[in-house]
Amino acid sequence: MIPNPLALIAEVTHRCPLHCVYCSNPLRLVATDAELSTEEWVRVFREASRLGVLHLHLTGGEPAARADLKDLIAGGRQAGLYTNLITSGLGLSESRLGGLVEAGLDHIQLSFQDSRDKPAKWIAGANGHAYKIALARKIRQLPVAFTVNLVVHRQNLDHIDEMIEFIEQLQPQRMELAHTQYYGWALKNRDTLLPTPQQLENCLRAVEKAQLRLSGKVRIDSVVPDYYARYPKACMGGWGRRLVLIDPSGQALPCHAAGVIPDMRFDNIREHPMEWIWRESAAFQRFRGEQWMPEPCKSCDRRTEDFGGCRCQALLLTGDASATDPVCSLSPNHHLIETVRSAAESDVAQASWSYRTNMG
Amino acid sequence: MPLPSQTSQPHLAPGCRWGSHAEPQVVLFPEGMIRVQGTGHDILTLCDGQRTVQEIVATLVGRYGAADPVKITEDVCSFLEALQRKRIVDY
Repeated sequence: MIPNPLALIAEVTHRCPLHCVYCSNPLRLVATDAELSTEEWVRVFREASRLGVLHLHLTGGEPAARADLKDLIAGGRQAGLYTNLITSGLGLSESRLGGLVEAGLDHIQLSFQDSRDKPAKWIAGANGHAYKIALARKIRQLPVAFTVNLVVHRQNLDHIDEMIEFIEQLQPQRMELAHTQYYGWALKNRDTLLPTPQQLENCLRAVEKAQLRLSGKVRIDSVVPDYYARYPKACMGGWGRRLVLIDPSGQALPCHAAGVIPDMRFDNIREHPMEWIWRESAAFQRFRGEQWMPEPCKSCDRRTEDFGGCRCQALLLTGDASATDPVCSLSPNHHLIETVRSAAESDVAQASWSYRTNMG
Repeated sequence: MPLPSQTSQPHLAPGCRWGSHAEPQVVLFPEGMIRVQGTGHDILTLCDGQRTVQEIVATLVGRYGAADPVKITEDVCSFLEALQRKRIVDY
C-alpha cells in the first residue's frame, strides 16, 4: 500500500533575478515558454488535495516572477491546501504582497544570503539585501506566518552569531539555518562552500544557545549538513513516500535533483492525472520500497528510517544511483566523503564561483 | 514563557490553522502538522482568542460532568504551554 503524498513542491518558474552559487535548481533550466499555465497549476493543486496533500510549497526560481502568483495562491488555498511561498522577495512590492495575503497565503518564507550587504551580493550575484530587510518589516504587519531562511556555509559561518541576531531583529516566528546541500550549482562550488569541522561545531553551539534564549519566541530549525552526519538523511522522507515536485514544465519528480539520474523517465502532469503519476509513474516507483537496495542497506535496521539516503547524492558521488548514500558511515564508498571533509580542513584559495545562470 | 493564567485568551499562533474538510483533526503549520484528537481536540477547538482559560475550563467541566476543575485547569495549562513552545498556540 503506497501512502498518500503530504506535500506538493510547485516549482512554478525557473526564472530568478538572483544567481546564487548554491541554487537547488537543476543545471538545465526550464524555459519560460514551456511553463504551465495558471489553469494547469490550479488543476494540479486540486488533484493534489484530493490525493491527500496538505501543504503546497510555491517555489522557483523566484515565484514572484510569475504575474499570476496571486491566482496560484488563491487556487491552492481554494483547493484546501496550506499555502507556503518560498521567495527571495524580489518582485514583491508592498501592494502586491498585501494582495497575496488577501488571496489566502498562509506562510511566507523569505530567504537571505547573509546578514551583511556585501557578502549577500557576492553570493547572490545581484543586489537585494536592503530590499529584503525593508520587505521583512512589511511582512510583519500582515496576517501571515513568517519564516526567515538563511543558507549557511564556509564563507559566512564565521559570523553565525551575528546572522542569528540579524534574523531575530526581523522578528519572524521561525528561522531556518539551512546548511548548503551539495547538488546542482552547490556541488560545482563545493570546495568553497563546505564548512570546516570547527565552523560546524561552533554553529551547532550557537544554534543551541539561541534555541534556549528564543524558546517560545522564535522557532529555530537547523539540520546538520549531510557530509558531517554519521548516517544519511531520509531524503524527501523516502523516495516517492511523502512529496511530489512538479517542475515549471509539468514534469513530476520525486525530488529537486532527480533529473541527474540517467535513464529516468519523468511523466508530465499535462498527460497524466496526479494520482496516476503518484501510483504508476516509473520515476516514482524506481526507488520506492526496499527492492532496489544493495547491502549494507538491505539488511540494515536503519533502512526504514533513512531509506538508504539520497539517490541523487549516491549517483553524483559514486556514479551509481542505487548505491548506499556515501554519506553513511557504513557505505563502502564513505571514503569519498572523508576525502572531501579532510580537504575542507585545509585552506582553500579564494572563491571563484560558478554563478547560477538564467535563461534569456 | 510562563503558563497561561486564568484570564489568558489562547488562540492558534500565526500561520497555524485547522485542516480543511478532509482533515478536520489536523492543525497545519509551516513545514508540518499535528493530529489533535480526544481531549486535546476538545481544548484546542475552544481556543478562539476570545474565551479565557477560566471559560474554557468551565466549558470542559460542564462537558465532562464530575471532573475536578483544579485538575482540569492544570491539564489545560500544561497542554497549552507545550503547544506554545512549539509555536502552535499563543496566549
